[in-house]
Amino acid sequence: MNTINRHCRNRNEKGHVGVFIFLTVFGTFLLNGNGIWHSEAADTRKVELILVPAGTFTMGSHRRAADEKPAHKVYLDAYYIGKYEVTNAEYHEFWLENGSAKNTPEDFTHLPHIGEWPARAQQLPNYPVVGLSWHAAQAYAKWKGMRLPTEAEWEKAARGYTDRTWPWGNAIEPHANTDADNDGYQNQLAPVGRFPAGKSYYGAMDMAGNVWEWTADWYSDVYYFQSPKQNPKGPDVGSWRVIRGGSWIDTLTRCSTTFRFYLYPSLKNSFVGFRLAKTAAQK
Amino acid sequence: MKIYHRKEYRLRTGLKIGGDKSRPLCCRSTAIHVNRFCLILLIGLYLCLPSSTLSAVHSQYVQHVEQGFIHLFRGDNSGAISAFEAALALEPHHFEILHYLGMAYAQEEFWNKAVETYQRALETLQTETGGDADETNPQTASFGVKIEVLYSLGVVYFKLDNWNEAVDVLQEVVKFSPGHARGHEVLGKSFVKLRRYSEAVDSLTAALALRPDAAGIYQELGTAYLNLKRYPEAIESFDNAIRFGPPGYAEPHYGLGTAYLRLGDREKSRAALLLFQRLQKEFAEYERLTRLTRSEPENLDGWAGVAKLLMRQKNYGEAIRVFRKCIELAPDNANFYHGLSQAFINLNYPKPAEEAARQALQLAEAAPNSTPPTVLAVLYNTLGSTYAMQGDVQRAINVFRKAIELDGEQPYYHLNLAKLYESLGKPALAQEHYRAYEHYKSTLSEQK
Repeated sequence: MNTINRHCRNRNEKGHVGVFIFLTVFGTFLLNGNGIWHSEAADTRKVELILVPAGTFTMGSHRRAADEKPAHKVYLDAYYIGKYEVTNAEYHEFWLENGSAKNTPEDFTHLPHIGEWPARAQQLPNYPVVGLSWHAAQAYAKWKGMRLPTEAEWEKAARGYTDRTWPWGNAIEPHANTDADNDGYQNQLAPVGRFPAGKSYYGAMDMAGNVWEWTADWYSDVYYFQSPKQNPKGPDVGSWRVIRGGSWIDTLTRCSTTFRFYLYPSLKNSFVGFRLAKTAAQK
Repeated sequence: MKIYHRKEYRLRTGLKIGGDKSRPLCCRSTAIHVNRFCLILLIGLYLCLPSSTLSAVHSQYVQHVEQGFIHLFRGDNSGAISAFEAALALEPHHFEILHYLGMAYAQEEFWNKAVETYQRALETLQTETGGDADETNPQTASFGVKIEVLYSLGVVYFKLDNWNEAVDVLQEVVKFSPGHARGHEVLGKSFVKLRRYSEAVDSLTAALALRPDAAGIYQELGTAYLNLKRYPEAIESFDNAIRFGPPGYAEPHYGLGTAYLRLGDREKSRAALLLFQRLQKEFAEYERLTRLTRSEPENLDGWAGVAKLLMRQKNYGEAIRVFRKCIELAPDNANFYHGLSQAFINLNYPKPAEEAARQALQLAEAAPNSTPPTVLAVLYNTLGSTYAMQGDVQRAINVFRKAIELDGEQPYYHLNLAKLYESLGKPALAQEHYRAYEHYKSTLSEQK
């Protein structure tokens, strides 16, 4: 069975015994100090955006899952990406104007740390909005005059121009809200921006863990073999949309900058949110 | 109620899963028509319920779905099946959840159950779109949505040896999505099984254009060329299968030997076939042991041997199944829990790996007289690996230190600790253990 346990099958190619896993996990690159990042308020509606400059970065990995192969150079034009995932409070504004069944976040009454909509917009304004389909995320982005990031844009914003396993570098650290017991948020969501040490090279927060993030692209396991070298926008057709970054129910391994996963775009889960992106004006 | 067994396709007697081929794929059995009726009835009943009840039912549905995904993400397919079944009992008209349920069934090798579930998914999708959506038009919302369900169905038909059905379904997949490499691949393999070699070449070549490093596809392509008597192309394909395949991949050597023989190059043919024989010995041992376990399902040595070979072949998914069987037969044997943990580690499932490693340690420590310290150290090292994979560095360090206390001369325990200290920004401690690693590594090499 190929699709669901893509991870299993692909991971067969990885390390053989426990000890070698560290060689894989730690990778070969070192942290790049604190990194230099560019942050500017580029949008009039006060969404905090980060400018990711035009340039080439390495996308994918030779060392990890089969659908991350091959590692390849990708050039992206300059773009802005949300510093944080879209929050309950932000989405609530949109929902008040455009509240339809499709745009209403799912209730999670069995998860007190998330709860019901719209109550959670008041009670947990700074938490990432979850329980939205890809279509609702896209509708919000459009309303904001922006869009969802492409998969390539997401990866560059998380990874920087070097090969960082996680946004902060290659060291195993509790700098993200995962299913581990040592990150301060056991089995629950965290408000956005609670892991400043986990920021990416460009300064984006929470790109590992807390919630998976919808991207604009359809998923294909072989896309990297034939994707355009400049500004790839994903396959033309598919059943699933790519989600990135891992979440509060995932292991740290699944929260790596290259790990790819996918969901039906109509699904509304407690572990999927999104952030915004916008093409930077050409000079 | 029908009880489904693993690998039930082996037991089936003339069961035709696909039904009447004159009908569209997703409407091929009477059962599906009944399902459609039930579905409409359930939706009707659902709509008649008061809103508070609806809300409570939906909340439960959401809870089950969420649980299902958590099980799925952690590799617990049985848990996912239970959760998704529970969700669908409350709200049966979610084609996505039906697809995930089918995938969990397929993963557990409940093939017929998987087929039935995929067909329900397609039927639900058909009902949702009113059956009149133009799925071939990229401008419509339903375009592409059923590709992965169809692909999953095709794979299960292939597993059930229903190659004609597989071809029908997979042709639809690649029609909707010409870039679907897995679709082309399984379609090509189905053509090979049906001895439609020219069509197999087309499909497998299309798959390789999309995924140029896939050893298994080169192997199938070589077989198709061989049967078409196109020997130079067959040789090139088998060479590529060897180049991209895992170490010890035997089959392409047999293909090469056959192709050279037919070209009259006896020397090269003999060399390839000898190599094939050597690699096959290991495979023969595997076959012997699996036969043994089939005839004597309680034979622990047989199961243990199979598990060992599966780990050597890096077939960790299957190894998990076999280690579980070993544990069922010998629940007090720490080795099997350790093997299970190693298999989970290799599949990147640290949680179940941790549970198995803990169990192994508990059993080993309960019998201190029969467990040498070096073995205990190995178990601690495995447990430490599972902690490290989950980002729990401090616990990993504590456990690796314990492993070193028990067996300080094993270089890799020092290496693990050095890496963790390095990640914590403690260079002095890291350096100390790097030095120990180098020292014991060279000692080990000299001993060898």
